[in-house]
Amino acid sequence: KSKTAPRTMADATCTSEFCNAGWSEVLTHMSPYGYANFGIAFGLGLSVVGAAWGIWLTGSSLVGAAVKAPRIRSKNLISVIFCEATAIYGVIMAIILANKVKKPDEATYFLDEDWDFPGFYYAGYGMFSAGLSVGLTNIASGVSVGIAGSSCAIADAQDPSLFVKILIVEIFASALGIFGIIVGIIQSNACTFPIAPLE
Amino acid sequence: MTTPAPASGAGDMSTFNILHGFTEALVRGMRSSFMRDSDYHHMTQCETLDDFRLNMTETDYSESVADVQTLTPSGLQEAALEKLVTEFKYLRMQAVEPLGRFLDFVTYEYMIENIMLLLKGTLSGRDINELIAQCHPLGLFKESTMRSIPTFEPGPRGYDDLYQTVLVDTPVGPYFAQFLQDSAMHGGSRNVLEEVEIEIIKSSLIKYWIEDFAAFCEKLGGDTATVMGDLLKARADTNAINITLNSFGTPLNEPGMRFSDRKRLYPAVGHLYPAGTSMLVDVGDEDELGRVLELFPQYSSIWGVHAAGGSEKSIDDAFYERDVHQLELAFEGQMHFGVFYAYVKLKEQEIRNLVWITECILQGQKDEINKFVPVFSQHAPWRKVGGRR
Repeated sequence: KSKTAPRTMADATCTSEFCNAGWSEVLTHMSPYGYANFGIAFGLGLSVVGAAWGIWLTGSSLVGAAVKAPRIRSKNLISVIFCEATAIYGVIMAIILANKVKKPDEATYFLDEDWDFPGFYYAGYGMFSAGLSVGLTNIASGVSVGIAGSSCAIADAQDPSLFVKILIVEIFASALGIFGIIVGIIQSNACTFPIAPLE
Repeated sequence: MTTPAPASGAGDMSTFNILHGFTEALVRGMRSSFMRDSDYHHMTQCETLDDFRLNMTETDYSESVADVQTLTPSGLQEAALEKLVTEFKYLRMQAVEPLGRFLDFVTYEYMIENIMLLLKGTLSGRDINELIAQCHPLGLFKESTMRSIPTFEPGPRGYDDLYQTVLVDTPVGPYFAQFLQDSAMHGGSRNVLEEVEIEIIKSSLIKYWIEDFAAFCEKLGGDTATVMGDLLKARADTNAINITLNSFGTPLNEPGMRFSDRKRLYPAVGHLYPAGTSMLVDVGDEDELGRVLELFPQYSSIWGVHAAGGSEKSIDDAFYERDVHQLELAFEGQMHFGVFYAYVKLKEQEIRNLVWITECILQGQKDEINKFVPVFSQHAPWRKVGGRR
């Protein structure tokens, strides 16, 4: 062991002014605009992933079961519509959040000293987490509606009286997506990006 | 023999439908084509085969019997089997790996039967075209291969030549290769072809097929492995018990042959393996067989049916009932491959039922007519309809 090699993690930290002080510094120095827009992207993207996953799960079973029992075709499109609804929640949330992202009135190089920094950061974090709330719940909702919808199509082909009963399972599954968008709206309600320095 | 691993697993609840959702939904739609209790009731009431045919036009078989002028049991069997084969081919065309390979495994059993039929027929000197017409349609392979089997000469290197030139092309070639290897290891290939020899080859090939299939399903994992594992274990045990039962009174039952030959026919899967099969090796007559099977709860009741004797039920009927019960259970869960195997087997059972009913009507034996095992019946002994409805 040479005497010049660092012996603890603390010794190994970089002391130059260009190095960051760890994750806390990285996360707090990311722009709130970045946070907000990633929130919009996750909200929309993950919702659509959930909806698409659900549609391909239920659609393939619907097409196959309809070969022997063509009467189920129209009724079972409800399962596909339930999956689509989760994507719509994602779009609603994305539009609400996108309308809240505003740029400052005056273009300046540095933000003014009286800038509403708490509100600024609050808006960024709030929109990011609102997007995640909606996106992650919609993945779960989409997949579960898809699996239930697949069983619904197959059961309906055998016995028509089962359709409504299994539909109730799907309704509960799609309620998960509604929870996400309700919480997301509450989270993002108070988020406003400041556009001018405080008076 | 190492089974090549499947291309990917079957997928669990959230990913199965991506590749196999369509084919599984097809099979489940085909489930509604099974005869119901009311259909069976009407058919058993028929006096003549024309009445029977009229009843068939109201079931899913209406197109199959439409072309048949006069209905005979064998004609009915052919038409019904043709329908099953059409459905199976449709499924096979739509299947993606690993389902494609799974469905191929289901057909290998019939291929083995066909090869044995062709071999046996060749040895008795029958015409090849007649034999090909008798082959099971699910197990057909290349026409040229089938036609080259009769060129096989039962000589000293007979089986080796047959394998090298003809059977190596077929999908069941590896089972034959393994059989040749094992029989070479255990003291020379038998050159003299007796009646029992063909049966032993067939039992060995089926044994290798069951083991291969079970290993493949095990590698697929998930629900498929669970469901198919149970079904194949039951199948292997049925084979072991039947081999033992049928060997009584033949040279295979001699104490010298039991260990060297009969033991090699028992499959290496199943509830009876390994403890039960090693006990079965020593069994010399039915009493000893009964004592061995008493130790296994699943088989003690089936053995009880056989031991009770009489014309009411044979051990085959008891096995059929148990099989239908298990195969119906395969339809209870979604997102696994067991339904495909169960569908083929249950359809076969239904065809057996229809042929039985037509034979009874033809021969006028009304008291025997109800001795079939209906599929998905509400009155099945394991299905308590109870207070509902």
